[in-house]
Amino acid sequence: MEQKIKSIIAKLDSSDITFADVRITITDYEYIYFSNGNLRGMGSSLGSHAIGIRILKDGCFGFAGSGDLSDSSIDKLIKRAKDNATHGAAFQKKKLSFPALGATQGEYAFTPEIDPFTMDREEKLDFLSRLADSIKPQGKIVYSGVSANFEKQEKYYANTEGSYYHSVVYNSDPAMSVAASDGNEMQSRTWPGHMGTGRAGFELFYKHEFEKNTERIIKEATDLLSAPRVKDKKADIIIGGGHLGLQLHESIGHATEADRIFGQEISYAGKTFVRPEMLGKFQYGSPILNVYSDSTDPAGMGYHMLDDEGVPGKRIDIIKDGILVNQQTSRHIAHLLGLEPSSNMKASFADDIPLVRMTNLCIAPGKGSLEELIASTERGYFLDFTKTWSIDDNRNNFQFTTEIGYEIKDGRIVGIVKEPTYFGITQDFWNACDGICGEEEWAYQSTFNCGKGEPGQVMRLSHGVAPARFRAVDMLPG
Amino acid sequence: MYQQLINLKDALGTHPSLKYVISQSHWETDFLRFYQSQTNYNISKEKHSLHCQLYKDKRSFGFEVDNPDEKKVMHALEDALKIIDKMPADPDFVDVEDDARLAEPRPFTNNIQRIGLKEKTEILQSLAKSVAPHRFELFGTFICNNSRSRFMNSNGLDKDSQGSPIYFEVKAVNKENQVTVLETFGGENFDFFDIEAMRESLLFKIENAKKPVVDVDAGKYELILAPRCVAEFVQYLSYGMNAAALDRHSSYFEGLKDTQVFPEIISITDDPKDPQMVQASYGDGGSLYEELKLIDKGYFRAFTCGKYYHHKTGEPKNGNTAECLKIAPGEHSLEEMIASIKHGLYISSLHYMNFINMRDTSLTGLTRDGTFLIEDGKITKVVNNLRFTEHISEILKNATALENKVYTIPFSSNYNMFDINTSKAPHAKIKEFFISSSTKTI
Repeated sequence: MEQKIKSIIAKLDSSDITFADVRITITDYEYIYFSNGNLRGMGSSLGSHAIGIRILKDGCFGFAGSGDLSDSSIDKLIKRAKDNATHGAAFQKKKLSFPALGATQGEYAFTPEIDPFTMDREEKLDFLSRLADSIKPQGKIVYSGVSANFEKQEKYYANTEGSYYHSVVYNSDPAMSVAASDGNEMQSRTWPGHMGTGRAGFELFYKHEFEKNTERIIKEATDLLSAPRVKDKKADIIIGGGHLGLQLHESIGHATEADRIFGQEISYAGKTFVRPEMLGKFQYGSPILNVYSDSTDPAGMGYHMLDDEGVPGKRIDIIKDGILVNQQTSRHIAHLLGLEPSSNMKASFADDIPLVRMTNLCIAPGKGSLEELIASTERGYFLDFTKTWSIDDNRNNFQFTTEIGYEIKDGRIVGIVKEPTYFGITQDFWNACDGICGEEEWAYQSTFNCGKGEPGQVMRLSHGVAPARFRAVDMLPG
Repeated sequence: MYQQLINLKDALGTHPSLKYVISQSHWETDFLRFYQSQTNYNISKEKHSLHCQLYKDKRSFGFEVDNPDEKKVMHALEDALKIIDKMPADPDFVDVEDDARLAEPRPFTNNIQRIGLKEKTEILQSLAKSVAPHRFELFGTFICNNSRSRFMNSNGLDKDSQGSPIYFEVKAVNKENQVTVLETFGGENFDFFDIEAMRESLLFKIENAKKPVVDVDAGKYELILAPRCVAEFVQYLSYGMNAAALDRHSSYFEGLKDTQVFPEIISITDDPKDPQMVQASYGDGGSLYEELKLIDKGYFRAFTCGKYYHHKTGEPKNGNTAECLKIAPGEHSLEEMIASIKHGLYISSLHYMNFINMRDTSLTGLTRDGTFLIEDGKITKVVNNLRFTEHISEILKNATALENKVYTIPFSSNYNMFDINTSKAPHAKIKEFFISSSTKTI
């Protein structure tokens, strides 16, 4: 495949092409899901090939992608990508700027502890079947589900600047859920929550201790039916890692994708309230808030040695001591903003065009344990396990509901509340952060499903976070 | 094109104990994305795949092969045959679909070929020129898909379908303050596209968008929902009209069949044959897709239901998938509806909706692409985007008037393949709609 991709690059080395890159992905995917204890679906797509050719010509990018890697198909793709660039250039006010970059070579292979594609399938099914059986409907539980998605992706990248990269990674997405009903309303609990995926193999089921948590989610879903709702209009809240990852993702991650500043995502994912002149000045959060983008950490799903336009992986500060200092960029956008490219251009598969994407976007740890943070909270709620999320076009106004809230009084958890809902304005919220737990509580929270772009792409990425406290947050009383 | 499908069918014929559903499809898209009245990127993309779902007694296994050739397909089949006997059974599985009826042939045009990049670019250049003097720029997408697939199963079904939907979305954005207005075209027949009508409507909306920008407080408002909003709320509501939701006890409509759930003015059908919409020939499991009344004059009449959930829930099987929703028009003109509001809002489009509780239809979301203040029966100001926290069931219960005209609204399911579908809806006047906060931005 290395030879193939390099031979395609050789075909693109012509004077009318400013820059071109080619990606090839080979993806294995397997899904398994149980509903109410019964296996409802298991299937796979193995060795799925994709190729994408991106050509910068006449100051405009053209792209063509396919699953067909035959020589005749590749010649057609090159022609389509060129035609697409030429037609695009006819509706352009200014040629796209794309400063040259030196060549980089790289090889990376992740090895899971338990390879989900080669492990004994009976063992895999037996484990999942027992798990599904242990949470199947009984008492007030009326629905239960167990699911697993496994992915192995091999990627080849090459460009006309001489860069070449080959990688193999594994991602796993394990989940279980129960729903309880008393005939009128329904409440649900999941494990390990909304961001329980990771750069791992089947071992992720053991790391998340699924078997230990079946009774917990059954009890909590059942108890939520009779639990009170939050009555406060404002409250101090501590957000657990599973949900804080999403809060970070929506209100800092997407807001600092710089393609949004120029309106490149207006037609679907939206804009951002961030403006170029805010860099170095804007008080995004309280001084204890430090946020960085780190594609150099192989523990997160956002790791790469080279991004999908040839920029080597980097760790960069996005928010330093509460001040916005940088953005997630492409080579083109970085040039427009006078920044160095941040290595954030990624595509889901080779036949997708790369976009500015989060990689491993993290909040640096603070100090102390979760127990200490709760103990220092006089009155409030500990919220975790995302239920509903929503944020506006500018990433300024968000509203989240979690599956469960744990009420805190005098530094202790005293009960639970159902569907706690809080909302706020991004800057106000992050400036209300007065406590971030330390390294002992810090972990990656990851997702399989960050949607962006048209045609739509879903990206695998991670957020390193530790639980954090926010003062006087607006709550939606029930 | 279907040789691998036929080979697979022949191979499966040697295993009489197996039931199966197999399909082979080719999908392609030509995708123009633009911003600041210029090209962002042009994409051409295609996918050729074969899918197989095998059943042995009550055990099932599925596989997909991209860009299939005989070696890959037979290898995948061999692998499936090794695993299927070792899998846990699903006691609720009965059989694959047996509705062998074929859809009537309908006219077909490949819109990727019909609307070339040159024509798309000329349309955009023309519209961009019209909005530029108002200091607005164009952002959006102009997409044509083309797909063809053939479907077979062990009950003898052999069906072929094709489609070529168009999705054209234009947002005109004010260069200074980002106030945005939206126009769309969707369907499968580009003869219905009228550039002059789109231009006229854009320019009319731009005049409203030049009005001063204000914020409004949280609270309950009387408002006009644009057809896109009505259609989107009904799409979300339709999750609960599916028998799978009923089976999971997450349906709002559980126990409400043939009960009046909404005012008499609300009627909703799933109609796959409207020529102004993206049409569909076959639904769940390959059954014939036919018109189905979901809400009739306020009464809930049917769940969309395939063979599997028919067996589980006892609901009648229809194979509908609620991809072609139509909300019936009312009796009022839009002008009358706006004129009847003393103090309220006009909402053009919705953004980032998510259920809080699917069973009670509570959800939150935001307004986008043009929210306006109505004072004394007239649109007087632009309003910052707003957050609402509502129940869809209550929104429809609070519908007091519907426009006497419906519009085709395109939607895209923006994951995996870029599927495009359409709904039809009128403007709706709603009372007591809860705005829970302001975004303080446009």
